[in-house]
Amino acid sequence: MTQLKDLYEELIRGFNSKPSDLNKCTVTLNKLKLGLIEAGLLLPKGDVILGDLVVAREVLEIGAIVSIRSRDIPSFDRYFAQLQTFYTDYSESLPPSKREYPIRGLNLIRLLTQNRIADFHTTLESLDADVIAKNPFISHPVNLERWLMEGSYSKVWNAREEAPAEEYKFFVDSLMGTIRNEIASCEEAAYESLPLKDAATLLFFPNQSGLLLFAKERGWQVDISAGTINFKTKGEEKMEIPKQRLISASLAYARELEQIV
Amino acid sequence: MPDVEMKPSEAKPAEEKKATTEEKPAPPAPISPVVEIKNNIALIDRAVSTLEPRFTHRVLRTLTALRKRLDDTILRNAVETIYAHDSAVKASLLVWLPEAAVADQSMDIDSSAKTPSEVVPEAEMYLRLLIIHHLLASTSEEVQSKALQLANETVEKMQSLNRRSMDAIAAKIWYAVDRAYDLAAEISDARPLFLAAQRTAALRNDDEAHAALINCLLRSYIAYNLYDQADKLVSKTTFPASASNAQFARYHYYLGRIRAVQLNYSEAHTNLQQAIRRAPAAKTAPGFYQSVHKYFVVVELLMGDIPARSLFRHAVLEKALHAYFETVKAVRTGSLTQFQTTLKAHAAQFADDSTYTLILRLRQNVIKTGIRRLSLSYARISLRDICVKLNLDSEEDAEYIVGKAIRDGVIEGRIVHEKGWMECGSQKSGYGPEVSEVFGRRIAFCLDLHNQSVKAMRYPLNAHRKELAAAEGAREREKELAKEIQEGDLDEEDLGGDF
Repeated sequence: MTQLKDLYEELIRGFNSKPSDLNKCTVTLNKLKLGLIEAGLLLPKGDVILGDLVVAREVLEIGAIVSIRSRDIPSFDRYFAQLQTFYTDYSESLPPSKREYPIRGLNLIRLLTQNRIADFHTTLESLDADVIAKNPFISHPVNLERWLMEGSYSKVWNAREEAPAEEYKFFVDSLMGTIRNEIASCEEAAYESLPLKDAATLLFFPNQSGLLLFAKERGWQVDISAGTINFKTKGEEKMEIPKQRLISASLAYARELEQIV
Repeated sequence: MPDVEMKPSEAKPAEEKKATTEEKPAPPAPISPVVEIKNNIALIDRAVSTLEPRFTHRVLRTLTALRKRLDDTILRNAVETIYAHDSAVKASLLVWLPEAAVADQSMDIDSSAKTPSEVVPEAEMYLRLLIIHHLLASTSEEVQSKALQLANETVEKMQSLNRRSMDAIAAKIWYAVDRAYDLAAEISDARPLFLAAQRTAALRNDDEAHAALINCLLRSYIAYNLYDQADKLVSKTTFPASASNAQFARYHYYLGRIRAVQLNYSEAHTNLQQAIRRAPAAKTAPGFYQSVHKYFVVVELLMGDIPARSLFRHAVLEKALHAYFETVKAVRTGSLTQFQTTLKAHAAQFADDSTYTLILRLRQNVIKTGIRRLSLSYARISLRDICVKLNLDSEEDAEYIVGKAIRDGVIEGRIVHEKGWMECGSQKSGYGPEVSEVFGRRIAFCLDLHNQSVKAMRYPLNAHRKELAAAEGAREREKELAKEIQEGDLDEEDLGGDF
């Protein structure tokens, strides 16, 4: 137990020093997790001292934040899964943690960037409507999702600077990648051709070279002399009669009718 | 399949209780509850001795009606007459009923002459079920906590007895247990109990209890918004196909809710529709009917459809769905302002029904409907005008939103960026392969219904012999008739039997 305490203090020191010593934290965290398992606190069962649980929760929270800072998403995923026990099952007995909502918000953003919208909503459902509307850490991802679904991409773009916590910025880049691809697929469907300058604005590219590279990736025809991008027009969709299906359906009806008569 | 009783699982308990108290003072029943209980016990006995679960089902079908007419004296009398004086079971049952004044009902005199020597344990369970329901109907918390104790004791006893002939009653008991925990506001505590019982039921092919338990678990998960766990439970279990309609209705309802949260609207729609179709008549279980419809309306809106107007004129639904009707109107006109005001005005009710988050998602549908209406009425419209008409914040937004609508296939059209307008294309014709697909689905449904009903018909054993004999008799009589050359009436009393 004393050893655990030393490790814990070491972790706090490493985490609070500016800038945090990520490598040291990761090493200490691994040791701490082993210690927590031995003390039966990582996945608490039965009666445990509340004070210990608070410490265990803090260790996991720091772990989650450290893994975001060191850009290790799978590790964040694991920490969050372990933290859920503390957030849901012990929500009544433990004092609320000030890191709970930032971490929940981070998890929501993570789901959003991975385009796991169904999981996003399932997770959201477990939160109070009040929290969703008022807590800045939660309402940020909620608004992002709403704008994404509506198609108000410029709002998402503008909101990237308004992240409520430093860690949120980590996800911004991948989110912007998602948005660009979304916008690009919309443009392919909605425009016949687009001037290069406007395309750059729509796709939030500060200069043309980025746009040209992106256009190449998506296989757009760029007409440099006229300064436009031409999108492939889809040919008239051929209407095919699903013969196989119609035949099998008719046969099935015949068989059923036979049975009835 | 008979329509089994169905309690409004989401209905407010207060309403249910009021109904109970209202009906007590007016007992114009053709048959007194005590006699009915005794008849039921006899039926259960018959079911156990002949191994025909059908009789038990017949008993349980009357449960709702009977439940409302119970009181302490009736239960006490029933227990007194059914069990012998020194029976231990009797004593254990009577503990749960308050000491009554001396029984003063006249009709139990005749039955006291013959006291059945042995009563099957199923009968005891049935009586316990009645007592639990009776205790739960009470408003005082003390009595309700007594019901919880009794429920727990009954479960223990039921599990130690472990009789297959008890399965149907067991399913009902599980429901009562769930209700007891619910009233005590301790549903989450019952989860381990239910999970263990569900495993056992699945292993023993105890379909009825299995179905009831899955529903209890789903209900408990959803009550705590644990949709993730509920989804996992659904994917890890198979709902028994032979479960009763009422259980199926509940299951579909919960499944519909889970799928709606997961944005799988078409599946949610199918499930909710099934729940509505399988649910008992609107008047019998208004609470269930209303709450299914609430979700149904929201899901339909989320799918981009507008529910039929007649739905909101239904006698049972009109009042309950008022807030939803307002929402539908807002979505239909595609007006964001109207939608926001409706949302604000009815936020409390939506939160109560836990449809609030779903309704929040409707915002994008409102915009989509708005765009679709514009695309239908204009051949060409500037982005600025779209912005004004739909109350959007900026022209830039309008361009992205229209682009997305075109990509998602909501409208057919093009954006001409240089001129800043949208050109709308022609509408697709309504006749394509989808039509035959939908038609095929309906035919399949009807055929399935027909096959199911053929399968559900019952042919009692040896009934055809009776018919043969009757035919024989008829032939002879016919001969006689021919002989005597007079008019006779062929009576068919023995053709059908009492089935």
